[in-house]
Amino acid sequence: MAVDVRGLTGWLRAFADSISEHAAELTQLDAAIGDADHGTNMKRGMQAVTTMLDDSEFETADALLKKVGMTLVSSVGGASGPLYGTFFLRAGTALADTTEIDAADFGAALRAGVEGMVARGKAELGDKTLYDAWAPALTAYDDAGADGDLGAALAAAAAAAARGRDETTPMVARKGRASYLGERSAGHQDPGATSTTLLLESAAASLG
Amino acid sequence: MISIVVVSHSRALGDAAVGLASEMVDETSRPLIKVAAGLDETSFGTDASAVAEAISEVDSPDGILLLLDLGSAVLSAEMALEFLAPEVASRVTVSSAPLVEGLVAAVVTAATGADMDTVVAEARQGLAAKQAHLADEPPAASSPGLTPDADTPHVKLMVHNEHGLHARPAAKLVALVRSYDVRVHLTNLDTGRGPIDARSLSRVATLDARQGSTLLAQVTGREADAALAALRQFADDGIGDTAQPVASGTQPPMAAGSGLDVAVGPARCLATDVDVGGYEPGQPEVELGRSGTALSQVRETLVAVRGRTEAEVGPDEASIFDAHLALLDDPEVLEPVATAISSGASAPGAWSDVLGPLAGEFESLADSYQRARAQDVRSVERRLLLALTGRQDETSVGRDAGPPVVLVLPEIDAGTAAAIDPTEVAGVVTLAGGATGHGVIVAKSRGLAIYTDAGEAGARVRNRDVVAFDAAARRLVVNPDDEETAQFRALAVRRQRLRDEAMTVATSSAVTRDGTSVHVVANVGSVREALAAVSHGAEGSGLVRTEVLFGELRAAPGADEQLDSFLALSEALGGRPMTIRTWDVGGDKPLAFLPLSVEANPFLGQRGLRVFRTRPDLLVEQLTAVCRLAAVSPARVMFPMVTTRAEVDWALERLQEAAAATGGAVPDGLEVGVMIEVPAAALRVADLSRGLDFVSIGTNDLTQYTVAAERGNAAVAQLADAFDPAVLRLVRTVCDEVAATTAVAVCGDLASDLDGAALLLGLGVRELSTVGPAVALVKQRVRQLDLQDVRRVAADAVAASSADEVRSLLRTAFATQA
Repeated sequence: MAVDVRGLTGWLRAFADSISEHAAELTQLDAAIGDADHGTNMKRGMQAVTTMLDDSEFETADALLKKVGMTLVSSVGGASGPLYGTFFLRAGTALADTTEIDAADFGAALRAGVEGMVARGKAELGDKTLYDAWAPALTAYDDAGADGDLGAALAAAAAAAARGRDETTPMVARKGRASYLGERSAGHQDPGATSTTLLLESAAASLG
Repeated sequence: MISIVVVSHSRALGDAAVGLASEMVDETSRPLIKVAAGLDETSFGTDASAVAEAISEVDSPDGILLLLDLGSAVLSAEMALEFLAPEVASRVTVSSAPLVEGLVAAVVTAATGADMDTVVAEARQGLAAKQAHLADEPPAASSPGLTPDADTPHVKLMVHNEHGLHARPAAKLVALVRSYDVRVHLTNLDTGRGPIDARSLSRVATLDARQGSTLLAQVTGREADAALAALRQFADDGIGDTAQPVASGTQPPMAAGSGLDVAVGPARCLATDVDVGGYEPGQPEVELGRSGTALSQVRETLVAVRGRTEAEVGPDEASIFDAHLALLDDPEVLEPVATAISSGASAPGAWSDVLGPLAGEFESLADSYQRARAQDVRSVERRLLLALTGRQDETSVGRDAGPPVVLVLPEIDAGTAAAIDPTEVAGVVTLAGGATGHGVIVAKSRGLAIYTDAGEAGARVRNRDVVAFDAAARRLVVNPDDEETAQFRALAVRRQRLRDEAMTVATSSAVTRDGTSVHVVANVGSVREALAAVSHGAEGSGLVRTEVLFGELRAAPGADEQLDSFLALSEALGGRPMTIRTWDVGGDKPLAFLPLSVEANPFLGQRGLRVFRTRPDLLVEQLTAVCRLAAVSPARVMFPMVTTRAEVDWALERLQEAAAATGGAVPDGLEVGVMIEVPAAALRVADLSRGLDFVSIGTNDLTQYTVAAERGNAAVAQLADAFDPAVLRLVRTVCDEVAATTAVAVCGDLASDLDGAALLLGLGVRELSTVGPAVALVKQRVRQLDLQDVRRVAADAVAASSADEVRSLLRTAFATQA
C-alpha cells in the first residue's frame, strides 16, 4: 500500500500526540542524564508542527517534510531541534516530487534522514543516542520490507527501535550533556532513543 | 573588518556578553555583532534558521566569526551553514572559544582590523589569562576529584528560609548544581558540617542548614563561572522558596475524599516493612538489571503520582514528590547501591543498606522539618523493595468487594497518601509520625479522614477488627457495638448533609433563630485562600496574616508593594472588609528581612508588636500601606501581642505618623483594634481598648499563655486546649467588659470549631473569623442557634472543671446539630 501526503500528515499528528502523552516521561529520562528538557522541547516542537499542519496545505511529501524540519529547527530549542530537523529535511529531499510513496521510497527516506542526522550529531553506535534505536530499526525495516509490505516493515522497525532503546540503558553516554556524567550515565534509558521509538511506533500505527 | 554572531541559548546571556565586550572598544571601531539566541525573549534554546538569518545580516567579505555557548548551539550553528548560500557559508568560521572570554578577545582584536585567522586565534586564547592567574588545570569536560581549597571560587549562601534548607529548596539547589558541568562543595559554616558534594540531595540535606545558617559553596569545573552566577541568583531569589503568587486566581480542584473526618470500616493493618524473605538473588549482573528496572518502575510511578497530585491537590503538595524523585537520581545513593550489588549484595539488600542508614541520618537531625525527610527516604525504599519483590502495594489493593477499609499504618508517607483510593479506603489511622508530615498534609488536602498518632490504641488493632473514628473530636473506637457504629455512620451522614445545606446557603447572612446577626469572616494569608473563603461565604477577612502574605520575601516590602498585595486581596474578597494584622513575628519565627536574636524563651520574648519598638520604620511603612488601602477599600488594622496600654498608645502614634506620611489624618473608614492574646490584656481589656473600634481574641496564643503550655510540645500539648474553662473565662471577661462599646471578634481556631463557635456566641462574641473551608459550616451552625440556649451552655462551660467536661456539655447541648 502506498502512502500519500495525507498519510504522512496523519503520521506526524500521531507522533505529536504520542510526544505530548509521553512528554513527562521523556523529560524525566532526560533529567536523569541530561538537562531535563527533551520532553518539553519535543512537545513544543511537535505542537508547532501541529499548528503548522492546521494552517497549511501541501502538494508533495517533499514540501511537507521540509516544512516540518524547518518548524522543528525553529521551535525545539535543544539539540533535538537540529537533529530531528535534519532528519525531516533530508527525508523530504529523498522523497522529492514523490506523491505515492511505497515501502522502498519510505525506507530510502528514513535512511537519508538518519544519515543526515548522524552526520550532524557525529554519533556512533553505542554512544547512547537516538542512533542506537535508529540503526537496528533501519536494518529491520529493510529485512521485513523487502517484499514491499510497508506495514510489516514499519512494525519490524518499531519493534527493533524499542529493543535498541532498551539496550541504551546500560550504555555509557559519549555524546551530549549525558556524556558529562561518564559512567554514571549507565543505568538510564536514553531519551532520544525513546522519542525515536515513539516516532516509529506512530509510523507503524498510522501508516501500517 | 570581520563581523561576529553570538549563538546562545539565552537572549539575555547573548545580549549581556555583547554588552560587556562592546565596552572594551570605541563605538566607531567596533565590529558588527549580532546575537542569535533563545527561542524568544525568555525561552532557552537555539534556532538554526535564526542563526542563518543573523549571519546574513552581518555578512562581511572579511569573514563572519561564530561564537557559541554550548550543546545545541553547536549543532544549530553547523546546520545554519547549510541554510546559507555556499559562498556566504564559506566566509563563516565557527569557533570553540569560550563565549564571554572569546567574545571579548575577538571584539578587541577585530577592532584593530585584524584578519579572521588572527581574531580566531586570539578568541581561542581567551581563557589563557585566567588560567595563568589561577594556575588551575586546563578546562576539562568533567573534573571529578577536585577538592576545594581556600582559593577556589566560592559564594556564600545565607539560608533565610523559615524551615532551613528543607527538601524542596534543597532539591532545587541540587538541580541547579547538576545543570552545570561543575563540582560544588558545600560547607555549613555555622556547624562545620561538610564539605559535601552538592550534586547529592541527601548530602545537602545532611548539612542541617537551618534558618540563619551560612553555607559556603566552592565551585570548580568547566562551567564554574556560570554556576557561581546561578548560585548567587539562587541566593538572591530566596533559596528556592518564593513568595506566594499574590495575583494567582486559580483554585485547586476539589479534593477527592469526603472531608468529613469520620470513618468506619474493617481494619487493614499494614506493616510499612516489605517482606523480602522469598527473594532469590541472582548473579551481580542480574541483580544490577533488576535494580535498574525497579528504579525505572518506581520513577514512572512517582512521576504519575506527582502529576495526579498536581492536578487533584496542587503544585505545592506535588512538589513533595520531587524530593522522592531526586533521591532516585542521587549519585550518593546510586553509586553505593551499584558498588554493593557488584560485590555480591542482592538488589533489595543493597538498597536497604544504603537507604536505611540515610533515613537514620535524617532522623538524627535537630530540625523537625529535616527529620520529616526520613519519611521520604523510607517511602522510596519501600517502593523499590515492592518493585523488586514484585509484591503488590497493599495500600492500593482493591477491597475484595467488601466495605471500604480503615488503613492502620505505622505512619503515612506522601506517596501512599496520594495513591489512596477514597472509594476503597474509608479512613487512615497512623500510629505515630505527627500531624504535620508530608503524608498527613497530602491526605488532608485530599479530604481523606485521617486519625494521626493513635499510639497504643492503634497498635492493638488487628485485621478484621472494626475501627471507627471521628478525627475532628479525636475519638477512636475499636470494635464499636452496633449502637456506636450507628452513631458514627449517622455522624458522617449528618456532616455531609450539614455541609451540603451549608454550601447551598453559604452566601446568605448568618442570623441566629432569635435574630442576632453574626459576622462570619475568614483568616487568609494569600489570594488563593481569599478566593476559597469567599466561595464558602466569607463576609470578608477577620485576619490577614501579613507575615504569611509577604513572609517569603528577602527584603522588606515597601508601602507600594504591600498596597498592591492588599488591593489584590481586596479584589479576591470582592471588596468585602479586610482586617490587616500588622507583622506578627517573633524570635521563634523571624522574617527573612528582620533577623532576630535567638532567645531562650521566644514565646515570652520579642513577638508581635514588641519587635517593632526597635524597628518602628518597618511598622510605619506597613501602616502607610494600610492607610492608603483604607482610602479606597473598607479596611481594619490590628496590632498583635499587645500587653499594656502604653504599647497601644505607641502603636497609635505610629499610625498617626503613617497617616501623616500619606499626607493627612487616619482615614475615617479605617477601624483600629488590637489582638487579645496575652492574659494580662484580657484582664485589662477595658483600659486597653479605650478609643478603639474592636478587639480580636487570638484563642490559640491566649490558650497557651493561660495554661503555660506550648501547643507544639507533644509532652504538654494536651494542656493547651482552648476549651479549658480558664480560657473561656478570659473570653467572657473581654465580652463582659467591652462588648457593649467595642466589637469583639475571635480569630483563633476555636472560632472554626462548630461547637466552639456556638460557645463563643454564648460568651458574647459577635464576629467569628474562621479558616476558609469552615465558613459555610459555621454560618449554618449560627443559623440553628438560639442565643438564650448558647448563653446557658456558655455559663455552664465557664463553670466546668475541665476542657473534657466542656466538650461533653457541648455534645449534649448540640447533639442534634453535629
